[in-house]
Amino acid sequence: METNHQHKIVCWNITKIFIQKGTQRVHVLDDISLDVKNNEFVVILGPGQSGKSTLLRIIAGLETPTTGKVLLDGKEVAGPGPDRGLVFQSYMLFPWKTVMGNVELGPKLRGVPKRERREIASYYINLVGLQAFENHYPHQLSGGMKQRVGIARAYVNNPEVMLLDEPFGQLDAQTRYFMEKETARIWETEKRTVLFVTNNIEEAIYLGDRIISLKGKLPGHMHKTYEVNLPRPREHTEMKFLELRHEITEASELTL
Amino acid sequence: MTTATTTIADEIKLEVKERRPFSLAAFLKNRWFLYTVSLSAFFGIWTFVDYTKVLGNGIAAPNAVVVQIFRLLTDTIAGKTIFGHIWASTHRVLIGFSIAASIAVPLGILMALNRYINAIVKPVFDLLKPMPPFAWISCAILWFGIGEPSKVFIIVVGTFVPCLLNSYMGIRLIEPQLYDVIRMLGGNRKDEILQVGFPAAFPAIFAGLQISLSIAWTCVLSAELVSARSGLGFVIIVGMQLSKPALVLAGMVVLAFVAWATTLLVTYLEKYLCPWKREAVAL
Repeated sequence: METNHQHKIVCWNITKIFIQKGTQRVHVLDDISLDVKNNEFVVILGPGQSGKSTLLRIIAGLETPTTGKVLLDGKEVAGPGPDRGLVFQSYMLFPWKTVMGNVELGPKLRGVPKRERREIASYYINLVGLQAFENHYPHQLSGGMKQRVGIARAYVNNPEVMLLDEPFGQLDAQTRYFMEKETARIWETEKRTVLFVTNNIEEAIYLGDRIISLKGKLPGHMHKTYEVNLPRPREHTEMKFLELRHEITEASELTL
Repeated sequence: MTTATTTIADEIKLEVKERRPFSLAAFLKNRWFLYTVSLSAFFGIWTFVDYTKVLGNGIAAPNAVVVQIFRLLTDTIAGKTIFGHIWASTHRVLIGFSIAASIAVPLGILMALNRYINAIVKPVFDLLKPMPPFAWISCAILWFGIGEPSKVFIIVVGTFVPCLLNSYMGIRLIEPQLYDVIRMLGGNRKDEILQVGFPAAFPAIFAGLQISLSIAWTCVLSAELVSARSGLGFVIIVGMQLSKPALVLAGMVVLAFVAWATTLLVTYLEKYLCPWKREAVAL
């Protein structure tokens, strides 16, 4: 096994089999190998039931792979930790905490003193554009705003890697476009290595430096990799954007 | 934010729609008219039953009950005014309820968090769970006599089950991904319990307390009906023994009012302690 230190994340022959009800085996991922360079924005694109969320949870350390390894900076991932920030599809904000309370939780758990952690949290709340909503509770926010909190909460620990699991899957189309723009803007301001899971081809092309597409149904396996060499900020109607979109659509089962 | 404005706009539209010229059909379908019909029929039938003596002297007219309630404010029964009896019952409810809550809530939480504790407590609990609390009255009198402890015991037994079940389910039904958030942010098992377990289970625990409180009132009443020298149950029994239906009904009305007031207290306490809960689901 080679460990290339240029690579932030290396997934090496990952297979995942879940055992349900004691005996039933569900084969979710089959032989996934990929690597992500430092500060690269990589999108994992796949239809439903292609194991892409499971792959992200394995990289997060919330699941262990049945075979294979995940390396972060050349070291094997053994469990969840603050060096990776995870953004959930269904937000997973704490309803009993305000926006500030949710965002400052990371530094709070690490024992950062109150004034200091408030300062860090404020910075990221500003970055995601929620400065006027620090004292609001999640149920007072719209879906897009909730996910902004989710993103700020993941960023606040200053993680090496950001992992986003279909973060805009529950938003309406307009809000979704806007949040994609915002994601690109935030990433330009605070560069990180990003792994972004989605089933939306346009979202993948709009955001990714590179798109790794998985093929379903279960078990999910590697399909194709696309380099997106388009200048940022990108336009959905650019000729090259549309060509790439056509190419990916042709090659995948997503259009069904 | 935009959704909030549209709902308000819709509500105004609805309100405007309702303001139509008077029509008899619409009036008959009006909610407030129907409420009035419902309540008048109830009190009408009640008065009629009293007037015709269908139930003999077993019932008093509504106005007689109201008069009786006012007389209770000054009269004494067995040396106590109505406030003394209210306090006697409330006192029992509070003691029994506090004992049950302070044991059952932590036990339910521990059972949900630790499967060994669960495996030890659960079989006994499941065995005793279907037993109606009033089935314990005879045991309670045999063990504790007819004094205060036996009444408190009935309340503890009756309120223990919903307290425990609700705190157990409160912890068990927490979305597991909330724990993942804590783990990703670098928290340990202690953080998972303190930052997610307790606050997430809090509304369910409170629901359990609320159910328990109304059960506590049922329990105290039944215990007082069996043997007591004070309390609202005792007032009702005195009314029965003296063949004074107005006193029986007055006791029932006061009891219902006091029980409702204490439940309201818990509701407000919850609203104060859980400001994040949406107020949509009232009643």
